Amino acid sequence: MIESGFDRRDFLKVLGWGGAAVALTGCGNTSVQDGKETVVSYVEASDYMIPGVSVYFNSTCAQCDAGCNINGRVREGRVLKLEGNPASGINHGKLCGLGQAGVQHHYNPDRVREPLLRKGSGGETITWEAALKLINEKLTGVSGEQIAFLSGSVSGHLKVLLGNYLDSLSSKNHFVYEAISPAVQRAANKKSYGVEMPKFSLNKAKVILSFGADFLGSWVSPVHFSQQYAQFRKGVEGKRGVLVQVESKMTLTGANADRWLAVRPGTEGVLALGLVNALGAAGTALSADVAAAVKDFDKARVTKDTGVSGEHIDKLVALLKERTPSLVLSGNGAEGFAHGSQNAAAINLLNHVLGNIGKTVEAPAVVPFPQMLSANGNSASLKKLNDGMAAGTYKVLFSYAANPVFTAPASMKLADNLKKVGFKVAFAHYLDETALEADLVLPLDSALEDWGTHIAEYQPEGGQISIQQPLMEKLHANTRGAGDILLALIKQRRAEEYKAFDDYYAYLRTAVLQNKAALGGGATEDDTFWDETLTSGIVKVAGTTAALSGSTAITAPVSMASDAQYPLFLIPGITANLRDGRHANQPWLQESPDPLTTIVWDSWVEIHPKKAAELGIVEGDIVEVTSKSGSVKAQAYLFPGIHPDAISIPLGRGQSWGRYAKGYGVNPFQILDAVFDKETGELAINDTRVQIKKTSKRVIVIKDEGSGGGKQFGRKIAVSVSSNEVDLSKEV
Amino acid sequence: MLGCLLTWVDCLLGELLTMYRFIRFSTLLVGLFVAISGFAADSTVATLTTPDDLGPEVKQPIEFPHDRHAGNHNPSDPTKGGMEIDCQYCHTYARRSAVAGIPPLQKCIGCHNSIESVKDKPRIKQLFEAWEAKKPIEWKKVHDLPDFVRFNHERHIKRFVEQQKRPTQEACGYCHGDVKNMTVARRQKSLSMGWCASCHEKAHAVTAPGGTPIGKQAYWYTFQKPAAAAGATPDAIKAQGPNDCWQCHK
Amino acid sequence: MSVTNLLENWSQFRHFHPVDDKPHDPYKWAMSIDLDTCTGCNACSVACFAENNIPVVGKDKFEHGQQMHWMRIERYWDEDVSNPGGRDFPDQGAQFLPMMCQQCEAAPCETVCPVAATNHTPDGLNSQIYNRCIGSRYCSANCPFKVRYFNWYDYPTDDSVWPAEMNQQLNPDVSVRSKGVMEKCTFCVQRISAAKITAKNEGRLVHDGEIQTACQQACPTNAITFGNLVDTEARVHKQWEAQRVEIDKDKQEKDEEKGGTDLRGYRILEELRAYPSVMYLERVRESAV
Repeated sequence: MIESGFDRRDFLKVLGWGGAAVALTGCGNTSVQDGKETVVSYVEASDYMIPGVSVYFNSTCAQCDAGCNINGRVREGRVLKLEGNPASGINHGKLCGLGQAGVQHHYNPDRVREPLLRKGSGGETITWEAALKLINEKLTGVSGEQIAFLSGSVSGHLKVLLGNYLDSLSSKNHFVYEAISPAVQRAANKKSYGVEMPKFSLNKAKVILSFGADFLGSWVSPVHFSQQYAQFRKGVEGKRGVLVQVESKMTLTGANADRWLAVRPGTEGVLALGLVNALGAAGTALSADVAAAVKDFDKARVTKDTGVSGEHIDKLVALLKERTPSLVLSGNGAEGFAHGSQNAAAINLLNHVLGNIGKTVEAPAVVPFPQMLSANGNSASLKKLNDGMAAGTYKVLFSYAANPVFTAPASMKLADNLKKVGFKVAFAHYLDETALEADLVLPLDSALEDWGTHIAEYQPEGGQISIQQPLMEKLHANTRGAGDILLALIKQRRAEEYKAFDDYYAYLRTAVLQNKAALGGGATEDDTFWDETLTSGIVKVAGTTAALSGSTAITAPVSMASDAQYPLFLIPGITANLRDGRHANQPWLQESPDPLTTIVWDSWVEIHPKKAAELGIVEGDIVEVTSKSGSVKAQAYLFPGIHPDAISIPLGRGQSWGRYAKGYGVNPFQILDAVFDKETGELAINDTRVQIKKTSKRVIVIKDEGSGGGKQFGRKIAVSVSSNEVDLSKEV
Repeated sequence: MLGCLLTWVDCLLGELLTMYRFIRFSTLLVGLFVAISGFAADSTVATLTTPDDLGPEVKQPIEFPHDRHAGNHNPSDPTKGGMEIDCQYCHTYARRSAVAGIPPLQKCIGCHNSIESVKDKPRIKQLFEAWEAKKPIEWKKVHDLPDFVRFNHERHIKRFVEQQKRPTQEACGYCHGDVKNMTVARRQKSLSMGWCASCHEKAHAVTAPGGTPIGKQAYWYTFQKPAAAAGATPDAIKAQGPNDCWQCHK
Repeated sequence: MSVTNLLENWSQFRHFHPVDDKPHDPYKWAMSIDLDTCTGCNACSVACFAENNIPVVGKDKFEHGQQMHWMRIERYWDEDVSNPGGRDFPDQGAQFLPMMCQQCEAAPCETVCPVAATNHTPDGLNSQIYNRCIGSRYCSANCPFKVRYFNWYDYPTDDSVWPAEMNQQLNPDVSVRSKGVMEKCTFCVQRISAAKITAKNEGRLVHDGEIQTACQQACPTNAITFGNLVDTEARVHKQWEAQRVEIDKDKQEKDEEKGGTDLRGYRILEELRAYPSVMYLERVRESAV
């Protein structure tokens, strides 16, 4: 079944493009270098390999969990640029900035290149053989309960292999951790709709009411939603869609809303229930239970609690009644509180009341291979792992695609607890904060050098399995794919079962071909089917459809007490480019201005101009933000898109590693209080109260706002028009 | 002079560019003269012009006999003459890509594997050693253009060889000279902009089939609109090459 | 191009845009950008970095205004937000505007270049010839859109910009610019060139959709349309036509009409008579909410 001697990167084989630098010994008056520059030809060349002509390979983006399908441009054996794969049901040929920067992950000069073993406070390089042998030794005599594997979201065959490896160690301790995830949402959806992640059809909605869901920036599958958003704006039946965003800190999506409603932090659920109540009063049918649950949320109370005016509530209710179907979304802005689940349930209730279920909230397609489905990260799992480590449960810890030392709040004392683990192995691309704590660091291939299969959590159009394949030869001889490492490790336990697979490629190929019939390749030859699969990069599978069910039961969100000592909410900013900071060392992302503040290369504290005036703070003042758990100092930026009771610091900066990340900005994860959502145990990231103090320092904020400070002074530059003054139906 | 500047790694085909070395000196004409004089003083640098106006003599890792491969037959002594192999038999990329490239080693071996008579010759031995080791041969570049120039081999082959049916050796020879009489090639033409323009400025009528109808296209200064041949309809006038800076400069 | 040529025909180098005997045919490259679907996400800007070998200058140089992004997203707040007596919040969101070289037909930058390093191509692009540029920066001073970027440093030799490995990402079809050179958006001229060559080889004209600029290709909301304004089948042509924006007017007829029209197309700073090749479509905000 496996051809012996099959070269796993045969199709890419580019011999002779050795990386020898050509040093020139002087400077001519042109760059003509007759007889100086070396021209190296291929030793063997396939027909498609023509110098000067690009070749394109399809693969899968690994920059975030949306799993967009990408198309890489390769020339002379080097990948130059990533585009979206037009055949994708997720991103339809488009790609966001974060995805584009995937090449800077691949070519990053700070990647780990050799296996490293801790020696005192430093480390030394060791061979792979020694590293794998050492792991085997450390696992000997350790029981399954004492072994833990921490990873980011994983799916496809890597997840299968990881599961089997833990199984071979008799361990059930796979902790899937994502610092920023829609975990509260999943749990709430499961209750409200019967599925964790329904299909949201933004393009079918006439009104979208979003409570802090940044679907254009960082929420779930932003490139997909952006495309749907464009259709939504063009309009269903010629009627342009209307977006209303409710949140306390303006997100990218909020910045694109027709109406942005600043809500007092944490009261999103109250507003949702108030809207249900008002809809009932305006004639929308409510069940007796629902009517009873919302009866206390009259307009006066809602206005008082949330700060949203009665006039806006009336207009919104009228709009929702008039234009159907609509779509109501709940996102991180509303969910990051101790009562986040209650907020989410209240928001989801609106979809029931408005009759959106089955219209814009649809049953998702399910890929019929449960073993391969995405294990979705959340932060509750990290808490569990952390508690276990604190209790000294674990002797050996593996980590992969997670950097909890950076992303866990200092109040969890994770770094201290890690020290109680006897032996820590990090699968790492960079020597990040977590890898630096490890005893053994295993260098990983970049996503553009590795093989894999992925099933995105959010499956918008039928089911699809995405194929990841190398776009070029490895840059560094001694890195390995996560799949290859796991395969080598599992061979230490179950040699017999896995002996047929020389490497992860062989494993993957066999696995895919074994299931050829189910993947739609019934009568096709193995080689042909495999080639076709790699060529398209996508396997569409006949998905089953999960049924929607779910209840309208809600618990009314509690009102939050104010805190005299720490009067402000800290709402960490989740930006489209930096997210949880794992890609902060990619310079394009650092230099790409934050869309809302236009700030680059640094952190900032967003504060409402009124609040700033009250506190005597002006732009550029270095302010100290203190919570119960710690403090950070950063430059103040006066930002009108934030509730005066809140401040915001973007996540993702403040690393202690990487030439493009280290020393730029601060890490607000560190000062988050250990407050957790009561139902799911998720870290409540918006539920930290802080005080803010001006220091004596002031800096110039480095931003791209232009001399007008974001104002046009009457020049007709960026022009806006009211919807009743245009007719979109005539447009091309 | 300016110290050692590193070009970026493996700019192997040289089509990527490190034009910054040029730009320093292009600062008006005065700058250019200074540059040349400074340049000439540094004897370690390859010179742009040689006493005989040809490119520098280049020492290749294997002294490839172009004359033996592409030269004319010698009817009196077949062992001495050339084999009249078409340029495009080996340089296949030229008609398919902007760059001509160097044929893969595979191509050499493809023939030489069955030519027993020369297998014991030192150069052929060297060739097979490289093949066995799967080690590419590091040829020296003979025809190098500044990296800010976009030159397209494919267009020239398409026009002269495919559309106008001129012999390959003649078409290639416009820029590369009489390669069939050389061993290792040496640059025969200056390949300067003025030299390129000396062809492109010719207002010769082009009525060959193929090519793009140029319609009422405006033509940039000096690159004149081609004249129609006697009796040709306006539609028969074809664009004949670059008509603005950006077609050749990148 | 000899010195004699240069001196004798100076005026021809200085100004060129389609008039009378020199109309655009067969190509005139133009763009339209829909501000109602643009979300300001920056994907276009990053795509431009990747395609065009744009150096990342770093924090210090950015502070000095030396950033190089050919494609920038401008963000505007409504005038009355957080002004005395104005609204507390930008409750109609922000307004984003992708801004890059507008490829003006009568480009103010071209007439001031002392060495004719920037001039007009017959297909309506404002070309920038790096090896001709001497770095006077007059063009940038005269550009009303401020979309020209000057290389104050020698980025190719700066180890923080393209260190080992990172430099392997550079696009061989685009020059890497060095110190003292002005640069700007080219409408991805390398992609245009490649498509024109393919079309020529096949004896036809470039058809609509064959060329996508890097920003257009990346844009998740398809807000950017690029194409040949001369081609009546091209989407960009149809858009300009439907919006009644004419490239050779400095005052559009539709703007003179009483009560205005219900069309959204406009060009920025049209009154300066630069005749930009980029049409924007106004952002729309719902009146009912």
